[in-house]
Amino acid sequence: MSRRAMAIVAAVVVGAALLVGMRVFVNGSGATGSAAKGTVAFSAKTAWGEPNLTGVWRASTLGAGSGRDTFNLAKLEGLYTAEARTRMNGLSANDDPTMRCTPPGFPRAAMLGHPIQIIQRPGFAFVFTQAYPVFRIVPTTGRPHTSAKYLFPTHLGDSTARWDGDTLVVDVISFNGEGWLAGPQDKPTNASTGVWLTSDALHVVERWRRVDAETLEYQARVEDPKTLTMPWETPTVVFKRQAVDRIEEVICRPEDGPATYLARLGS
Amino acid sequence: MKVRKLAVMAMLACSCVAVLALVAAIGASRASAQIRTYTPPKTAKPGADWTERIEEILPPGVESRAEATARIAAYKPDPVKYAVPRTPWDGKPDFSGVYWPDAQIAPPPVPLESLYRPDAREYREGGGAAAGLIDWRGIDTPNYHCWPPSPVNGSMGGTVQLVSAPGYLLLLNEGGSNFRIIPIVGDNEPRPSAPHKPSFQGSSIGHWEGDTLVVEVTNFNGKPWLGNAQPPKRLPQTSSDAMRIVERWSRPDAQVFEYQAVIEDSKMLRAPWTTPTDRRGILPYDTVQESLCFLDPELDARHREFAAQQAKKSGAVR
Repeated sequence: MSRRAMAIVAAVVVGAALLVGMRVFVNGSGATGSAAKGTVAFSAKTAWGEPNLTGVWRASTLGAGSGRDTFNLAKLEGLYTAEARTRMNGLSANDDPTMRCTPPGFPRAAMLGHPIQIIQRPGFAFVFTQAYPVFRIVPTTGRPHTSAKYLFPTHLGDSTARWDGDTLVVDVISFNGEGWLAGPQDKPTNASTGVWLTSDALHVVERWRRVDAETLEYQARVEDPKTLTMPWETPTVVFKRQAVDRIEEVICRPEDGPATYLARLGS
Repeated sequence: MKVRKLAVMAMLACSCVAVLALVAAIGASRASAQIRTYTPPKTAKPGADWTERIEEILPPGVESRAEATARIAAYKPDPVKYAVPRTPWDGKPDFSGVYWPDAQIAPPPVPLESLYRPDAREYREGGGAAAGLIDWRGIDTPNYHCWPPSPVNGSMGGTVQLVSAPGYLLLLNEGGSNFRIIPIVGDNEPRPSAPHKPSFQGSSIGHWEGDTLVVEVTNFNGKPWLGNAQPPKRLPQTSSDAMRIVERWSRPDAQVFEYQAVIEDSKMLRAPWTTPTDRRGILPYDTVQESLCFLDPELDARHREFAAQQAKKSGAVR
């Protein structure tokens, strides 16, 4: 073999290695393995070849207060427009919609520290929350949002998603502007009101990624031009797999108040 | 020398191509992840809810819900013309779809009321175990509290979405936005443990008998009412924590699904009760919409007042 040919082969190998590396980079490590514990089997890919997000998942309770800020809320607080601040100064904890058992949308739902469940089928992922029980239907084919004819503002918004490598990128629009981005107990600074308004211009882009058999990561980018001067990024929330096949049925009763209600949910 | 130069050039060229490919691929991946700028809807549909959508989803040529129901009841399933869809992962019938309306195609063999134990009467007079009901003889039924419907009572009321997924059947109710997650186990798999607290919807475990999904539901909290009890005219058809339901879900063809259940409750019923067989027609949608159930504070206050008046006026009814 001539040196020239060898050099070309070497170059091709380098190029191929780069390409392969890129493929791995784009597609993720694709960990394989069986369930570490419990009766719930795990495989990195679904039967139809998508990254497998299926499972019951739980993260730590996140928020801000007592000099601690685990959800980047000081940053969020600084992004509110002057007009929104004026409105928020006139509100209090009792105006938090979860006081009426209204389910908080994501990303707030990811702060609660209570289990969620994801179940997939071809073309869809379904997200269930145990606290304030409700479901989200997330098309995963990258199709457009619900057509204008049927699109109307809701608490959880309208979701559509596409796979970006092994990350499910969910685009959520059509919120009704009633939800809060955090809870009244979340006070990252001395000046905090604990009020976290949104508007109907809220737009959330979520990134869901299965890291390994036991771990699911969640991150969201929130923009709301009517209340925030700039987009806000949540930190990465780390969910751990729970060895059960479904979340519990939990009832929210307004008369209990959210503190009692959340306490009653237990662990 | 010339050869080395060429080789270096070739390497550089190849590397350039690879880097360009990498850049292009990353760019493409970014572009594919790029989310279009969002413009919020200009006008909110006033008062939009799922009942309004029901008016919109009537099949062409059908004037009313009653007519749609009659058509579904009279429908003859045709699995040759409308082959039963099957899942790609286990080849079992795929229930996925949005269904409405519900039509009874076979009545119950005996009325539910005829099976109630006489000694359960006092318990039923008191409204059963539905703690939190102010006065069951008024308008204060479990449904009013936005409690999840039991499998038998009401979960099949409005538009419903079924989802077949590996190891699960999901039931998503449009009205109330509540849901049931039904794990399905295979013949050789151990049954998952059910450490759940007793609940309104119980704990479900499904298994296949041929093409029929048989779901056993236990672990109820004793609060659901069965049937359409309408106090004060009729005693509530209470259940107990001993209730056990065996449901049979089938898909006769691609246009419909059918549902029947047998209810045992040794504390309430003298013998197992077989429910009517219900059939539902599939709609050309693949998602239900959000429609949350709220206990409106103002309505709640009026309701409490009404219940108090009723109690005062009627004294001890029956």
